[in-house]
Amino acid sequence: MRCSRSLLPLLLRSGRPASGQTNQNHRQHQALRHLHSSPASAKSQPVSAHEHRTSKDTSLTTHEDLFEKMAKESKTKATFNKVIEVFIKQDIRRRGHVEFIYAALKKMPEFGVERDLSVYNKLLDVFPKEVFIPRNFIQRMYNHYPKQQECGVQLLEQMETYGVLPNVESKVLLLQIFGEKSHPIRKYQRIMYWFPKFKHINPFPVPMVLPEDPVDLARFSLTRIADDLDAKVTVYQLPCTDTTETGEEITRPHLVGIQSPSQMELLAKHDVNRPVFVEGPFPLWLRKTCVHYYVLRADPTPLHLKVEEPYDPERCLQYPLQLDLDLDRDLGDEESFDVDDLDDGPVFAMCMTSQGNQATLNQWISGLQQNNPILGQVPTLFRLDAGPQKPQESSQSPQPHPETQTEAFQPGEGADETVEEEPRRSHRMKQ
Amino acid sequence: CKCCSQYSDVNTSFLDPNVLNLETMPLDINIILLVLQAEVFPYPEIGNEELEELKQFVAPVEKFFSEEVDSATIDHEAKIPAETLRGLKDLGLFGIMIPEEYGGLGLSNTMYARLNEIIALDGSIAVTLAAHQAIGLKGILLAGNEAQKKKYLPKLASGEHIAAFCLTESGSGSDAASIQTRATLSEDGKHYLINGSKIWISNGGMADIMTVFARTEVEVDGVKKDKISAFVVERAFGGVTSGKPEDKLGIRGSYTCEVSFDNVPVPVENVIGEIGGGFKIAMNILNSGRFSMGSSCAGMIKKLIELTSEYAATRKQFNRSLSEFGLIQEKFALMAINAFVMESMAYLTAGMMDRPGVPECSLEAAMVKVFSSEGGWVCCSEALQVLGGLGYTKNYPFERYLRDCRILPIFEGTNEILRMYIALTGMQHAGNVLTRKVKELKKGNIFLAIGMVGKSIRTSLGGSVDLGLTGNDWVVHPSLEESAKKLEENVSFFGSTVEMLLHRYGKTIVDEQLALKKVADVVINLYAMTAVLSRASRSICIGLRNHDQEVLLTNTFCNDTFFKNNFLMVQLQKHSPENNDANIKKIATAVLANRAYTCSHPLERTF
Repeated sequence: MRCSRSLLPLLLRSGRPASGQTNQNHRQHQALRHLHSSPASAKSQPVSAHEHRTSKDTSLTTHEDLFEKMAKESKTKATFNKVIEVFIKQDIRRRGHVEFIYAALKKMPEFGVERDLSVYNKLLDVFPKEVFIPRNFIQRMYNHYPKQQECGVQLLEQMETYGVLPNVESKVLLLQIFGEKSHPIRKYQRIMYWFPKFKHINPFPVPMVLPEDPVDLARFSLTRIADDLDAKVTVYQLPCTDTTETGEEITRPHLVGIQSPSQMELLAKHDVNRPVFVEGPFPLWLRKTCVHYYVLRADPTPLHLKVEEPYDPERCLQYPLQLDLDLDRDLGDEESFDVDDLDDGPVFAMCMTSQGNQATLNQWISGLQQNNPILGQVPTLFRLDAGPQKPQESSQSPQPHPETQTEAFQPGEGADETVEEEPRRSHRMKQ
Repeated sequence: CKCCSQYSDVNTSFLDPNVLNLETMPLDINIILLVLQAEVFPYPEIGNEELEELKQFVAPVEKFFSEEVDSATIDHEAKIPAETLRGLKDLGLFGIMIPEEYGGLGLSNTMYARLNEIIALDGSIAVTLAAHQAIGLKGILLAGNEAQKKKYLPKLASGEHIAAFCLTESGSGSDAASIQTRATLSEDGKHYLINGSKIWISNGGMADIMTVFARTEVEVDGVKKDKISAFVVERAFGGVTSGKPEDKLGIRGSYTCEVSFDNVPVPVENVIGEIGGGFKIAMNILNSGRFSMGSSCAGMIKKLIELTSEYAATRKQFNRSLSEFGLIQEKFALMAINAFVMESMAYLTAGMMDRPGVPECSLEAAMVKVFSSEGGWVCCSEALQVLGGLGYTKNYPFERYLRDCRILPIFEGTNEILRMYIALTGMQHAGNVLTRKVKELKKGNIFLAIGMVGKSIRTSLGGSVDLGLTGNDWVVHPSLEESAKKLEENVSFFGSTVEMLLHRYGKTIVDEQLALKKVADVVINLYAMTAVLSRASRSICIGLRNHDQEVLLTNTFCNDTFFKNNFLMVQLQKHSPENNDANIKKIATAVLANRAYTCSHPLERTF
């Protein structure tokens, strides 16, 4: 604890890595490395481990302070690396390195380096080499340097959480630090076994970086929902700002829709006496972003109104499309049951907009009407929940809702909270 | 001669569906008999006078094709020269099947098939002539009235007018419901106005008379409905325009193009058959046009054998001529067997069609078409392979034959669709016979079930199945007994397979296309076996030259096909997960959902 505290002023002074003092430190550190590998230094090791244990409860916070102070102006990869370098250089014995690594792991997301493999490797390099490798069967039998091993495992765990795959350098470091068959190496092996297997497990991958432009984002999301390669995306309106005569600024929302030829066909066959509904907004999560979409749908046709197309024997010129037999399929070969085939009612089109009010959606319907003339005859009902209307980042606070908002629909908010509280779990779900 | 007398008065009644006693015959045998409805034993013959007449026609046609037709140029220039067409007209080849009273040659189906063997030596001419008379003018011939025949047939027979068949549209191949061309009655009721456009019309650019199918409004039981009607349309009526000839892979000399009709006035007298009866006419035309493909392919393969065997005999490698190598010999055997089987099937079918009282042979014609179009492709490819790199160049005609015969599995009903036709027609027949039995079984009729079990045990223990092909009243010559037994065994196994399929799928078999394909293949193979057995028996009996070779070919083919059939039927007996059908569907579904090949590249890495 004492030594950790004394770090602070030292670090503040040695803000620049090019100072002479650091160079000197570096040389000392090199010499010490050799010492560590000798059996003599192994004997002295338990002492330092004891020291660590005594400083346990408060040192983590001090290391965090170190990060805060070092990176007052900017939290970037460069400053993060600099903190690590400063820590390595200021004490050749690396006292308090476990606490330092824990603190660093905690700070990584803040610096935006939580997915950076080189930073993790650099952090691994903080561990002193070879001292934790068991040298005889008794050491091997017991949990050798449990705290350090636990820390190494924790580091790998965080890599796993963020979907960072270790490379050969990480493996070499782990071997140098903990030796073969240690817990961190086991963890490494498990990661290397499972990660490649799960890398492409998602048949509908979401890119790490989503498109910035709301129109592009809507285009991406709509094609993602509509599982039809023929579906055509139409941009009905680009976002723009107009100034009216009175000087008021009117922001026009973007309006992007999608419809496939089979949906058009379905809509053309729709009974004009039965209404179609514009419903929404429904949430769609893309990693940590939530967007909302609207659908144009109808209720399923009641059984008594369904008209089966009568069999036309003069349909196919070459072969009979039906057999005139009084025999049905045998039970053993009956495969008609299908869990996916539910009578939910048809969906005719989908759209995304930043302003889900009736006026905007009406514009969508009139746009659709160009290719679907039937929409001019069918009564169209709007069943809209007022909901969040902008694409959200889960880390941002949700938009204030209009008063009409009911408690029933607050997906963005709820999700936000979970993300804030349990970042790890939510991340794990994403990747 | 015992053989001959036996041959001539052989009892054929067991294969005649009209004499069948369905109650007493074993059920599974009925099925195949009903599938192969017609009489196939003895092999059909033509009389001596007819043969002489035919030979008189054949000789000049053969001479014309070997001396005056320059196929390479036709292929290269994508046009049949006018003088070649004139020569064909002079030979009367534009009216082979038109009765003599209308100025045609009035030849029978068999003779038409024989002439087609020669005509097929040039794919472009064969297709031009087929489009003219096998489908183009067939409508008038089959369903036209006397006035129409008198008006149109003489000029068509002489070749002064050329005919075309206009059915296919961009949105409608086999689907008659999506035909868009419409014929509307004019106000004075004297004309129909035809509007629409047809694609892939052979002879479309030069045809003067066209059989056009269009939608018309017909009143059925007081309800107005759209039905297909057939019209004879002259180009001279006005409003007919044809597009640019298509640039095709093969049969490049045939003129295939789009034909558009813009308010073409067609007098009501030019309706073929009844108004609204076009569907049946189209079906009949298509069904009757196919049978000659067997002899065409056989003619082509025989020509290919001549061309390649010369090369194989003269080309030397390692001091041995190519003809001494087993792998080259195999190709020639394959070509010979294929030509032999195609011939047998084609002339059997043509003979049956010529017989009075057995009018409908569309099923058999379809089988001939499927078998010969696929066999033709394989044989062309193998013939080219004999020549290796030389065959791949334009210096030799093989690449042209290969390109030309690629159309065969496509036109006149694709082979896929014909397989459906063959299998479903067979299933319908079998179903008519078997429905009662299958229902009883499903209800759990214990006696019937025990009987079935007993029978299957007997067959599995080697109990022979006897259809009466051999034995005392033989119809298959004893030297072919082995092959006949194999056919009988296949037929019996097939009977129980079909019964099992009906039991499992009932009428929903329509959607089991993979199973139906296997059924169709077995039926085609069985018909081919029957045809070669019948033909070879006749050849032995009357002592045709080289009939020992025919016996050899027959036995080889039957032996080979017996195993193929057994394999197919064993697959059919299994359920879809075991016979790979389910897997095939899954693979295809995944690929089609992606519209691309789905697997990662083998060089990809994940870490």
